Amino acid sequence: MSKRNSTKKAVLIGLIAVLTLFTAACGNNKAASNSKTGGSGEEETITLNMMHPWTSPNVDNDVYKARIAEFEKQHPNIVIKQDGVPSAQYKTKLRTLAAANNLSDINVVWPGADLAPLVAGSLVEPINHMMENWTSILPETALSGFNVDGQQYAIPTKQNFVDIIYYNKEMFAQVGYDQFPETYDQFIDAVTKLKAAGITPISLGNKEQWPLQSSYISIIGDRFTGSDFLPAVLEGKAKFTDPEFVKALGVIDELSKLDAFNTDANNMDSVQGQDYFIQGKAAMHISSATVDGRVRINNEEGDKFGIALFPSVEGGKGDPKKSAGVLQYGIAIKSGLDEKKKQAAEEFLKFFVNEDLYKELIRNGVVVPAKVEIPEDASPYLKEMLALTGNGTSPVFDSLIPTQVVDVLQNGLQALMMDHTTPEKLAADVQEALDNMN
Amino acid sequence: MQTLRGTKLAIFIGLLPALIIYLGIAIVPIGLSLYYSFMDWNGIGAMDFVGLKNFTRILSDDIFWLSVKNNVIIMVTGLVGQIPLGLLLALLLNRGLKGSGFFRTVGFMPVVISSVMVSLIWGMIYNTEYGMLNNLLGMFGLESWQQNWLGDSRLSMLSISVAYIWQNCGLYMVIFLAALQNIPDEVNEAAELDGATGFKRTFRITIPMIRSTMMVGVVYSISNSFRVFDLIQILTGGGPAHQTEVMTIHMYNSAFMNMRYGYGSAVSILILLFSLVVITLVNRLGREKDA
Repeated sequence: MSKRNSTKKAVLIGLIAVLTLFTAACGNNKAASNSKTGGSGEEETITLNMMHPWTSPNVDNDVYKARIAEFEKQHPNIVIKQDGVPSAQYKTKLRTLAAANNLSDINVVWPGADLAPLVAGSLVEPINHMMENWTSILPETALSGFNVDGQQYAIPTKQNFVDIIYYNKEMFAQVGYDQFPETYDQFIDAVTKLKAAGITPISLGNKEQWPLQSSYISIIGDRFTGSDFLPAVLEGKAKFTDPEFVKALGVIDELSKLDAFNTDANNMDSVQGQDYFIQGKAAMHISSATVDGRVRINNEEGDKFGIALFPSVEGGKGDPKKSAGVLQYGIAIKSGLDEKKKQAAEEFLKFFVNEDLYKELIRNGVVVPAKVEIPEDASPYLKEMLALTGNGTSPVFDSLIPTQVVDVLQNGLQALMMDHTTPEKLAADVQEALDNMN
Repeated sequence: MQTLRGTKLAIFIGLLPALIIYLGIAIVPIGLSLYYSFMDWNGIGAMDFVGLKNFTRILSDDIFWLSVKNNVIIMVTGLVGQIPLGLLLALLLNRGLKGSGFFRTVGFMPVVISSVMVSLIWGMIYNTEYGMLNNLLGMFGLESWQQNWLGDSRLSMLSISVAYIWQNCGLYMVIFLAALQNIPDEVNEAAELDGATGFKRTFRITIPMIRSTMMVGVVYSISNSFRVFDLIQILTGGGPAHQTEVMTIHMYNSAFMNMRYGYGSAVSILILLFSLVVITLVNRLGREKDA
């Protein structure tokens, strides 16, 4: 009898457990559907999820966050729930969420090769119908990276140049260079002399692998091959194994054979690489224009640093005045939102990316893609940056070339630094990765 | 008989919630991975059935075999590092030293703190320019011993192994300590009467007494070594140039960084197969020895 009782009890407890599980699940569903469709009252708040990579203490990140806060203040019925993901992991998370068809309502996206799969999977909403908000301030070139087959998918917030050489004027003067070298031979000469003087010529933080690819190969490649090369490679009209591109890879080989980089270059992240340079432990650092905020604009000792572009190379097909630029932080809306959320998201997009945002960014020394007037009180460093980068833009490697191929190049560049491969072998590997895609 | 059957039903119903959750987060994903591993899929677009192409590609991929080699390094160094070290610490603590409670806590600490912290700590120790290890060597005038611990491909896996052993040996210490304390006093006393003391007692009496626990430790250490991911991901990210990549990192990079979900799933299936094979082998060996 007592056995029976305990059996009954066990069954009951089991049932209760199962029921609890189901009701919990149902409860969740109900709550979720409530917030979506519930009530037509005016008090209703709409919550929009937004994923962005604005976590580091860069000047532009603060501007973006202030902008979001301002939007929430002016639209008390719309809440922007932010998901800040460190930029090194951001693209990975974006792709993973995209694969799970689980994107946030508002996303920060990159143009070209990064945007293509999102568009192919119809995960982001075209915004053609609201373009009149921006056509007057944004030139065609600023929008084209986010335009696929005539459909516009995102609006960029900033223009970044990835190949700015920051250099320590005092150290260069010490080895007899009052100006930054203008030719590659002089550049190598300066590197050799710096090395001989006991100074690390270039600080590099390449643990995340993109710096050597994005900040170095984009522009070194362009100097040798010219700007038509990467599109031609994608169309199969040129190959990475062409001698010009191999020569570009050879530059990294030559620099690492000269011990131009700090020994732990492949174990430091990009911010640590900047720190080395800012602390005066190296004579040069190659990174994006955004870093100027840390190096010079917000640095009391900023005037001891200069900026330059990669020097011209002998027999190079590229224009030595060009800088490798990319449009960043396109704001895109997820497709398939319900009407109310979609309206709120469009409202946000209109508010977030407008002339005020661009002006605020410029005031803080950030280059923007829009035609807005540069304020009188803009930092002289920004004006110098604009002058340096205003003579033509060349493509950034990973904005055109698919991720799988970029990965092979990035790992190969590290292998090149460790003397595990040669420029010729690496060029062949990269080409093979591209061929394997189709 | 009837009551017994009723109990079984009750047990089943009681287990059901846990079973559903377990199926959902363990069994179903493994099945899905198997399914994806036959596909060419970038995660977003359409899937193409490619049969065993992912597997043939993996098996002819040098980087994959490098990651297997690194897994073997972690497995072997883990075994010869963690188990003896854990046993040694357990034996020391079992002697009833003063403050053994304190040392037990200290020894177990690395197991409790998150892998992220462990990685950051060891990243600072190994740092070439301002790292503790190189500074220490410099202080003793051993500049020639200073190394690029994580960047030099001859050293990087061993450096990682040291951090890995440090992180995990506390766990084996606690497991072995519990086993040691379960050895009846009579056995030890009898051994002493027969003149087995010191090393003799340790090797002839103590260790054989906890043999089964040590086997559990060995199996756990092996299966753990196939799962290592976060430590390496944060210390080196598998770099430079794939030199410290283990299979899990290879899988992560293929699937999530390069959007080759089919290929990545195939790698995960191989990880499962590898660990099953190795653990079956070890179990078989252990049983033969028992017999």
